[in-house]
Amino acid sequence: MKQRPIGYLFIAPATIHLLLFAWIPIAYAAYLSLFKWDLLKDSKPFIGLKNYADTLQDQAFWNAMWNSTRYTLVSVPVGMVVALFVALMINQKLRGITLFRTLYYIPAISSGVAVSMLWIYVYLPEHGLINTILMRFGQNIDFLSHPAWAMWALVFMSIWTGLGPRMILFLAGLIAIPTSLYEAADLDGSTPWKTFWHVTLPMLVPTTFFVLVTSTISAFQIFTPVYMMTRGGPEGTTDVVGYHIYSEAWEKFHVGLASAKSFILLLAILAVAYWQFRAMKSQLEGYSTTVS
Amino acid sequence: MKRKRQLPLRLRSWFVRALRVVVVYAALILLAVFLLAPFAWMVLVSLHPSKAPIPTMQTLWPQQCELIGFNPTRCWEQFHWENYAFVLSMPDIPVARFFFNSIVVTTVVVAGQLLVASLAAYGFARLTFKGRDFIFLMFLLSMMFAGPVTQIPVYLMVRWFGWLNTYAALIVPGLGSAFSVFLFRQFFAAIPKELEEAARMDGAGDLRIYAQVIMPLSKAALATAGAFSFFAVWTDFFWPLLATNSMEMRTLEVGLSVFKNSYGATNWPLQMTAAVVVMLPLLVAFLFTQRYFTKGIMLGGLK
Amino acid sequence: MKHFVRSLTLLVLAMVGGCSTITGDGRTVVRVATWGGAGDDSEFAKVEREIFAEFERQNPDIDIRLELIPGSQEYVRKMLLNFIARSEPEVMLLDASSAAVFVDNGVLKDLTPIIAKDQSFDLDAYFPNVVDIARRGDQVYAIPKDFTPMVLYYNRRLFDAAGVGYPKDHWTYEEFLDAAKRLTDRSRGVYGFKFANWMPGWITWIWNAGGDVLNAEGTMSSGAFDSPETQRGVEFLATLMKEGVSPSLSESAAMGVDLFTQGQAAMEISGHWALIGYAAAPKGSDGKPLLAMDDVGVAPVPTQLSSSQTVMYESGWAIGKHCKRVDEAWRFVKYMTSEEVQRKYARLGLAVSARRDVAEEIAAKDPREAKFFEIVPSARPPWGAKVEKYNPVETIGQNMMDSVLKSGKPIPEALRHAANQVDKEFAK
Repeated sequence: MKQRPIGYLFIAPATIHLLLFAWIPIAYAAYLSLFKWDLLKDSKPFIGLKNYADTLQDQAFWNAMWNSTRYTLVSVPVGMVVALFVALMINQKLRGITLFRTLYYIPAISSGVAVSMLWIYVYLPEHGLINTILMRFGQNIDFLSHPAWAMWALVFMSIWTGLGPRMILFLAGLIAIPTSLYEAADLDGSTPWKTFWHVTLPMLVPTTFFVLVTSTISAFQIFTPVYMMTRGGPEGTTDVVGYHIYSEAWEKFHVGLASAKSFILLLAILAVAYWQFRAMKSQLEGYSTTVS
Repeated sequence: MKRKRQLPLRLRSWFVRALRVVVVYAALILLAVFLLAPFAWMVLVSLHPSKAPIPTMQTLWPQQCELIGFNPTRCWEQFHWENYAFVLSMPDIPVARFFFNSIVVTTVVVAGQLLVASLAAYGFARLTFKGRDFIFLMFLLSMMFAGPVTQIPVYLMVRWFGWLNTYAALIVPGLGSAFSVFLFRQFFAAIPKELEEAARMDGAGDLRIYAQVIMPLSKAALATAGAFSFFAVWTDFFWPLLATNSMEMRTLEVGLSVFKNSYGATNWPLQMTAAVVVMLPLLVAFLFTQRYFTKGIMLGGLK
Repeated sequence: MKHFVRSLTLLVLAMVGGCSTITGDGRTVVRVATWGGAGDDSEFAKVEREIFAEFERQNPDIDIRLELIPGSQEYVRKMLLNFIARSEPEVMLLDASSAAVFVDNGVLKDLTPIIAKDQSFDLDAYFPNVVDIARRGDQVYAIPKDFTPMVLYYNRRLFDAAGVGYPKDHWTYEEFLDAAKRLTDRSRGVYGFKFANWMPGWITWIWNAGGDVLNAEGTMSSGAFDSPETQRGVEFLATLMKEGVSPSLSESAAMGVDLFTQGQAAMEISGHWALIGYAAAPKGSDGKPLLAMDDVGVAPVPTQLSSSQTVMYESGWAIGKHCKRVDEAWRFVKYMTSEEVQRKYARLGLAVSARRDVAEEIAAKDPREAKFFEIVPSARPPWGAKVEKYNPVETIGQNMMDSVLKSGKPIPEALRHAANQVDKEFAK
């Protein structure tokens, strides 16, 4: 292949930007994390790995990690199953189907702040949309200030907002499955259920993997709804790690400690993504042999 | 004999199919209602008198608008459109200014991002040079750790530049997007080599090939990446929240959050009015760009 | 490099007209931050707007730009972040509950030299213990605007109806509980007391039981927050709900209305600002207000100690450290704390004026105001006025209270946990 050094010029602006706003900050964050760095104080002593050691012993941090984990463990699988189901429903040749596709996407494009405000109202005790219905059965739940409910209220909302993109991804996966495979299954006298398990699902493995990894990463970084709706409360039950780090950095101004915490979070995310990749890898290999 | 048996069978299968269609439509409509009911509710609440107690389900839909005894003019009068005038002209919360800021920031960032990303993608997809794949990998990796880790250092850097609370702080960090680079590269890689070679025969340089061959063929990619970054920038919350601090520099999304604190528990109609004001431009933009949206997601997700 | 970036920025700013310091008509911009909500058309907002407009009329060279950051925690965060960004507003309202973090981190300008130079300004016109909140040694960092002790409000009508004697100046918890029980009539939806679940609403209960959230020096929480005295205070609050003399938190949330203002709670603890809400009480079916102003009585909060203790919330006007237009900012501060403006504010009833002349004048005319005056000497500033790292204590304390009152967590355990958390935050 002929070398074309002019390529450097083409990629220069984007690469400089990437260096300046992604890689240098990463290095800078690593540097910060070695200091007792308080934005309000002039003295910023070097303390080595103490921030990391402190983080590992910080109950509030692990509470936040656990909150993010349970948020992710429920919102991602449930959200994916719902999205797959909707994608299957919408992958049919019916009149007006694209209209539904558009409608279902609307929650996802909405402003996070507006949606959060809307859902605070939906969850309002007594007068909220949900409690108006529950009151008919004599129930009234203050979703966002009850420690047992607040997290699930956020999860439910995330399934609502996250449906659109996941549904489109699954739909793309479904469309890409060659019809010949279905025809073959038909010839074998397979039932629709069997076809779904033995043809559709295996063929969707790469899509599922992609949806899983991106959803996990974004679920671990959820911030706006927590900031707007619960502020980590009640009793720290919705203090997810994204909000926890925000508050360490921008409410307490301990940016050194917050940097250490965000590195530990990054490691955790990478580990989970790698583990997901490993778990899916065998499936992926199975997929590539089917196709080729 | 054979004919007689076939006919009812065909009828039956037609009936089953029709039933299936009805069930599917019913499910689709039900889901649409579930997903959109909160929005309908939001609009209704925003039209409620702003000083009244918390609107309840019973008071949301005015009596004058019910089917029995429907009276078009009286019904219309029940809706408090003046909430919108009030929100748009509040003395202490300059919503018009928020709009202006959002438009300036979004326009510049989207345009800049498209240019920077498409140039880079041309390099990555159509040219060969040393270290190319490694650099591209750096772009992909950066998508993994965007978020909490880089925010603190970027804030400190922007402060050092003296950019805080200026348009520069809102715009410059957003000009690059690894995702857009990735999207363009996927698209450019699929364009046949022959077109490029023909242009090279005519003595065209790379910049001309980029501008006159590749880009005209990539309108869909431009629209897709543009739509994505439009929504990402318009609804970005965290960064503008940190990077600006005067009312005049707030974007719509951050400005809206002020409403929540100002009118918390007390004035839901005005809060919902503000929410509608923020949502409406997004909805309109989405309706115009939605087909690119689906395309972009499929492109990003599959290759 | 830095210089280049800066000039580039200026260029960009000039092009898009960002935050300029001089307006088009040549007036100097003075940004003023308060934690008030966005103005509506209430009486209070109208008068306040008029006060600002009057300043601009008297000072045609100044353009006042209000920055409203509602929510007290939110306000503190934003102001500190502004300071870190070196662009805090020229003038800001300082809340006693967070004064220390501002004063001790050098966020504010020392006003002493300005006061010394200004012959027309007299610091002695203000209550000295109120000025002390923002004083460090000889240096004064804010001119007090107004203040309020937390007091016990009671509704005379409900007391009379139940045949219960009005709250005394030295009421024990037992006497309080006994009265509250007799005032409660759940069949008519009337409660003896309405507990307000935020720190200003419950800190006095802990203080008056002999407990506290921090030790006397404000350096440590263990030994104070988890002391038997604090525990007794929290237990008493839990008892109030167990006995049903105050609605439980879930009941309060469901009711979503202000019970005292609706004439359905006989007592509550609040500051002077509550009077504004009382004056605007909703009307009942008979067209009369559900809470008549003449029925509202004021008493010191109940206590187990020899004398009642309460907390004094205060606000004052301060000037930002990076402020370059000190003269203009000072003119504004002086105006806002002047007798003329203080009198306008005092009429609105948000708090007690920090000027002795205005406050005494008002107290002489109104026995209820006089009662506030009596309570003031027993009031001490909130911890946040002295302890720089106090802010997280509010969150931790509130979580503790919620875990006890909502989830029924055992009190000793909740307190020990809270004390530990506070000490960890202090060690950071």
